[in-house]
Amino acid sequence: MKKDAPLIELLREYGVSRRGFLKFCSITASLMALPPTMAPAIARALEQARRPSVIWLSFQECTGCTESLTRSHSPTVEGLILDVVSLDYHHTLQAASGTAAEEAREIAMKENWGKYLLVVDGSIPLGNPGFSTIAGIPNVEMLKEVAEGAAAIIAVGTCAAYGGLPHAAPNPTGAVPVAEIVKEKPVVNVPGCPPIPVVITGVLAHFLTFGRLPELDGLGRPLAFYGNSIHDRCYRRPFYERGQFAETFDDEGARKGWCLFRLGCKGPITRNACATTKWNNGTSFPIESGHGCLGCSEPDFWDMGGFYNAVSEPAMESGTAVAWGLAGGALAGAAAGLLNRRERKAARASHQRVTVDDLKREE
Amino acid sequence: MSGASLERGLQALREQMDTPVAAFFSSCVHCGLCAEACLFYTETGDPRYTPIHKLEPMRRLWEQEYTLPGRLKKALGLARPVTDEELEAWRPLVYDACTLCGRCSLVCPVGNDLVYMIRKFREGMAAAGHAPEGLIGATTRAVKTGSPMGVTLKALQAQARHVEQETGLEIPFDREGAEYLVLMSSMEVINYPEYLAAITRIFHRAGKSWTISSEAFEATNSGIQIGVSDIAAELVQRVVDAAEKLKVKTVVSPECGHAYMALRWEGPNLVGRSFGFEVKHILEVLDELRREGCLPLEGQETVRMTFHDPCQLVRRGGVVEPPRNLLRTVAAEFVEMNDHGTTNWCCGAGGGVSANEEADELRLKAFHRKKRQLEEIGAEALVTACANCRIQLEEGLEANEMEIPVIGLTELLADHLAAAEQESGESS
Repeated sequence: MKKDAPLIELLREYGVSRRGFLKFCSITASLMALPPTMAPAIARALEQARRPSVIWLSFQECTGCTESLTRSHSPTVEGLILDVVSLDYHHTLQAASGTAAEEAREIAMKENWGKYLLVVDGSIPLGNPGFSTIAGIPNVEMLKEVAEGAAAIIAVGTCAAYGGLPHAAPNPTGAVPVAEIVKEKPVVNVPGCPPIPVVITGVLAHFLTFGRLPELDGLGRPLAFYGNSIHDRCYRRPFYERGQFAETFDDEGARKGWCLFRLGCKGPITRNACATTKWNNGTSFPIESGHGCLGCSEPDFWDMGGFYNAVSEPAMESGTAVAWGLAGGALAGAAAGLLNRRERKAARASHQRVTVDDLKREE
Repeated sequence: MSGASLERGLQALREQMDTPVAAFFSSCVHCGLCAEACLFYTETGDPRYTPIHKLEPMRRLWEQEYTLPGRLKKALGLARPVTDEELEAWRPLVYDACTLCGRCSLVCPVGNDLVYMIRKFREGMAAAGHAPEGLIGATTRAVKTGSPMGVTLKALQAQARHVEQETGLEIPFDREGAEYLVLMSSMEVINYPEYLAAITRIFHRAGKSWTISSEAFEATNSGIQIGVSDIAAELVQRVVDAAEKLKVKTVVSPECGHAYMALRWEGPNLVGRSFGFEVKHILEVLDELRREGCLPLEGQETVRMTFHDPCQLVRRGGVVEPPRNLLRTVAAEFVEMNDHGTTNWCCGAGGGVSANEEADELRLKAFHRKKRQLEEIGAEALVTACANCRIQLEEGLEANEMEIPVIGLTELLADHLAAAEQESGESS
C-alpha cells in the first residue's frame, strides 16, 4: 500500500466504484443528520484525505469490536476505509510482533505527533497494573503515553466507552473506561457490544471531512447515531402503543411479532441506531430476529437486572439497608399517623355542640 | 361558653382532619386543573377562585399541626398562624364562590376530593362565626320554624288545600303505613306549588299510597350548607323520626339536589346509623313507576328540550339515567348540552349560595356558563329537577333576556299522564 496515496485511489484499487463511494458518502451524511448538500463535501474531503495515521489499542476486550468492523460483510466501504487508513498499530491485524510491533507504534507516534487518531477498544484495569499488559507495559501507562500525542480519541465498544463487561459488578480488575483516564483530549464514545460498523466509519468520515469530532451527547456519544432510543425507532412500537405484548418466546404474540417489552427488551432505555441502520449489511437487528434488545450500548448494561426482566421490574435486589429504611419509614409514618389520630380524637372529645345560637360572635 | 370564636373554629377544623384530608393535601401537585373545572373561576378569571386555594387556611392549619416540617416551623416561630382576619377574607371564597358542585373533585388528576374538604372547611368557618348572614338566618329558621324560608306547616296545609281543590284529589297527611313519605323543599311550597299537584296526580294514577308528615315535611338541610354537622344531624333526625313513626317504606326527596345529598348520602353518617327505610329522589321513584308500567304517558313535546343536571343529584348523587329515561318518553327532540351528566356545569346557586345575598352578583355572573351552553345547542325549553337550580336558571335567563321556559321534570310528566285523568293544563 502506497503510504501517501489519496484514499480514493486506494479504494479504487480495491474495486470500489465512484458510484459506490458517493453512495457511502450520502448515506453517511444522512445518517449523521447532515444536510444532503454535505455529501459532495464528504466525498471531496475523503478523496483528498491523506491516509491518517491510526493507532488502535486493545485492552481488556474480546476482539468483537474489530470483528464487527472487519468481518461484517465484505468488501464494504466501511471495512475498506479502515483498511486504507494507515493502521500503524493493531494487535489483531498487524503482521509484526514483539519488539517490531512496539517499534512500529513508536515510529508512528513520532512521525504523526499531534495528528494521529487513537482508537481504543477494551477497558483499562486499575486494580492491579499486572492484570493486563502489552509487551510488559500496563494498559494504563500505554494509554496515557499514546493519548498524549493524539489529535482525538475514539473509544470503540462499550468496554472502552463505559467499562463494559470487565466493569460489571463486582468489577474484579477495577476496570475503568478511557474517558476516566484521558481527561485533556476529546474522547468520542462509540458504545455497543459490538458497535455498528457504519457508526465507527461515520465518526472517522466526520473527522476527515470537518477536521473535528461530531456533536456529542452527555455520555460522549455522537448525537447523530445515539440521539434516539431503539424503542423510538422500533418497527414493533405500534404493538407497544396498543398494549400487545409477547409473553413468552413461543406464544401467539411472539409469532405475530408483538412487542418484546415484557420479555425484557431494553429498547426503551437504549440509545443506538440499530433499528435504523440495522446489522449484517442492513439485514435486520435483534428485535427483528425475535429477541429483545440487551441494551448493550448503555453504561452498566450487565448490571441492569436480568436480560429477560422487563424494564419496569426493579434491577437490583434491594439490600437490607433499603429494607430497614422502608421499615423505619413505615414505623415513623405509623407513629406520626397515630399522633395525628390522637390529636384529632382529643379535638373530637372536647367537641362543643354548635347550635344556631353559636353561629354569631357575641357582641 | 356560647357564641362563635376563632378558637372554636380552629378546634372544629382539627376535628375534621382525617386520613383523606391528610392524603389530599399531601398529594396536591399544584397543577391548577381544578381552576378550569370551577365555573366561578372560568366565568370571572379570578385566580382566587381556584378550588384548592379556597382551602388555603385549612391546609396551613393541617401543615402546622399535623406534619413534622410544619410542626418544626411552628415551634421555631416561622409559621404564620391562621387568624380571624384571614378567615373573614376567605368567606367569599368558601361560601359565595362554591356551590359544593364537586366538578373540581371530578377532574383532579391525583384524585383529591376537593368538595369533601370545602364541606369540612365550612365546619370551621361556621364555628368561628364567619358564615354569611343569609345562611345563618336560613339555618336558624330551619331549626326554629322547620324550614329555611320560614314556611310553616300552616302555609303548607293552605297550599295543599288549593291543590286538592284544583285536582279533586286528597293530599294525605300523617298516614301510617303509606309506601312513600313525600318531603318538600320550601322553595317548592312557595314558588312551585305545581310540584305538589303533579305528584298528587301521579301517585293517584299509579295507585300508590303516600303521605306527608306534619312533623317533618322540609327536605332541605341548611346545616350541611352552612357546615354545622350538629345542626345537620338534628334536621336529618327529624325526618328519620317521622319516617319511622309512620312506618313508611321509602322517603322521597323532592326536586332538590342538596336535599337528596343530605338525606341519602350524608344522612346515615350524620345520625350514626343506617335508616330503616329507603331514600330515593322523586326521579328515581318515577323511573321505577315507568318501568313497572304504572306511569302511562301520552303525547310528546315538540320543542327542542334539554336537561340541566342538578350537581348533587347527578354528579354527586349518581342519579344519571332516570331523568334521561323519563324525558325521552315525553320529549320528541331531547338534546344534551355539551357538558352533561356527571360533567355538567352547576347552575351557580347551590350549596347555600342562593340563601346568601352577598353572593347575588357573583352567582349571576356564574350563570353565563349555562347561558353559553344553552346557546350552543339552541335549546327552546330547559327541564330540570331541582327547585333551587330552577329559580337560579329563571333569574339568570331573565337577567340575560333569554326567553326559554324552565320546567320541572315531575310537572312535565304529570302533564303527559295518559287519559282517564282530567287535565289541569297547569304548567310553567
